[in-house]
Amino acid sequence: QCGHILLSAPIVHLGDQVMASCIINQNCSHLVTEWQIVWKLEPELHPRERQQHLPNGTLQSTITLPHLNHSRVLLSCCLHWGNSLQILDQAELQAGYPPIAPHNLSCIMNLTINSLVCQWEPGPDTHLSTSFTLKSFKSQDQCQTQKDSIPDCVPEDGQSHCSIPRKHLQLYQDMSIWVQARNALGTSISPKLCLAPMDVVKLEPPTLWALEPSPGVAPPQPGCLRLRWETWKPSLYIEQKCELRHQPRLGEAGWDLVSTLPARIPEYELCGLLPSTAYTLQMRCTRWPLPGHWSEWSPSLELITTQR
Amino acid sequence: TPLGPARSLPQGFLLKCLEQVRKIQADGAELQERLCAAHKLCHPEELVLLGHSLGIPQAPLSSCSSQSLQLTSCLDQLHSGLFLYEGLLQALAGISPELAPTLDTLQLDITDFATNIWLQMEDLGVAPAVQPTQGTMPTFTSAFQRRAGGVLVASKLQSFLELAYRVLRYLAEP
Repeated sequence: QCGHILLSAPIVHLGDQVMASCIINQNCSHLVTEWQIVWKLEPELHPRERQQHLPNGTLQSTITLPHLNHSRVLLSCCLHWGNSLQILDQAELQAGYPPIAPHNLSCIMNLTINSLVCQWEPGPDTHLSTSFTLKSFKSQDQCQTQKDSIPDCVPEDGQSHCSIPRKHLQLYQDMSIWVQARNALGTSISPKLCLAPMDVVKLEPPTLWALEPSPGVAPPQPGCLRLRWETWKPSLYIEQKCELRHQPRLGEAGWDLVSTLPARIPEYELCGLLPSTAYTLQMRCTRWPLPGHWSEWSPSLELITTQR
Repeated sequence: TPLGPARSLPQGFLLKCLEQVRKIQADGAELQERLCAAHKLCHPEELVLLGHSLGIPQAPLSSCSSQSLQLTSCLDQLHSGLFLYEGLLQALAGISPELAPTLDTLQLDITDFATNIWLQMEDLGVAPAVQPTQGTMPTFTSAFQRRAGGVLVASKLQSFLELAYRVLRYLAEP
């Protein structure tokens, strides 16, 4: 090899000093017309340079970049040959930061995909290739001690969420969960969560229906609506409570909320509304009395109250 | 009253157990529905003779009856029964590709429930010194036997869970 580049370090902290040497050995000397090393830097920089002929006949040029403030610099070591500049070797310099601790880690047990889905904030860009890994272990005593480990969950590139499949979970036992961030300059870990997957379950929304008038049943009172709902079928085994919100479809009125409704009742009459007025209604449910997250609001149901 | 120590069972534990029983019942019902739909094996009573020849055991819950509830022994029987059904379901492995996911979920949920019971027994200081070991399991020598075995195991499991639900609900009453 005619010439090669040596770096003090291929990856450094942004702002640090970096030195690079290019060494041209003897067997290359007979080729060149001008026995001088030329550096090409991309982006263009103007480092201090020192070039010297070494006793063993080699030629060495050392450049110093006192404060590297580009995250990537491509260095080319060249020599004049005829009227062209010949590239003898290249090296890439990288600069960035060690990862700070990922934060805002939160998890939801998703019964649709039967996985514990965790997401986090990765923190500022480190300018370096940084890998994130969701780590966890099963525990019994509020995550004080590790019982069984769980395979690392590696998110897809650039993603800040990862899903732990059901087969690695004990739904009703505590598990400790955290995120590790790692790049060439360091490693950091997020604060740890301690949770039982079912205690962070988030259900799919219920379905709202209007109750059709039926013979032998008196119509609703003026300013009332009659409706029913069904909770999400895969969650039938979970005790839940629900809440209903309603607002006139037209006008500026905000939502009114009816809370702590049972998950399963044959029908419900909502009164105290404006007569012959179109209303938009939505419902959501949550696991209860055991802990869980509220579902999203259901699709809207549009109903009109009876006249006076 | 025999319920003295029952008051030592945390309400949260009982509510989770009730939820787990309902979940396993739903899993078991799905397995039964699929076996019925795919293989026309819809009535366990048609498979009683086969069940005897295969030697599919029934898990006892005699200490959990409301007349003579002995809590420690009831928890132990609950755990042992769940442990037995774990083994029976493992013996059914390879039942069919379509049923495998349902079987896996059922096994995972039963294992979770058994763990929950065992940890509670440990907390109460009444857990046996060693975990139970699986006895000899029936051998299913044909695809039909695995499917029929699936129907029988699911049916016995539902009966077991019904009893378990009753006693857990009884214990959870304020």
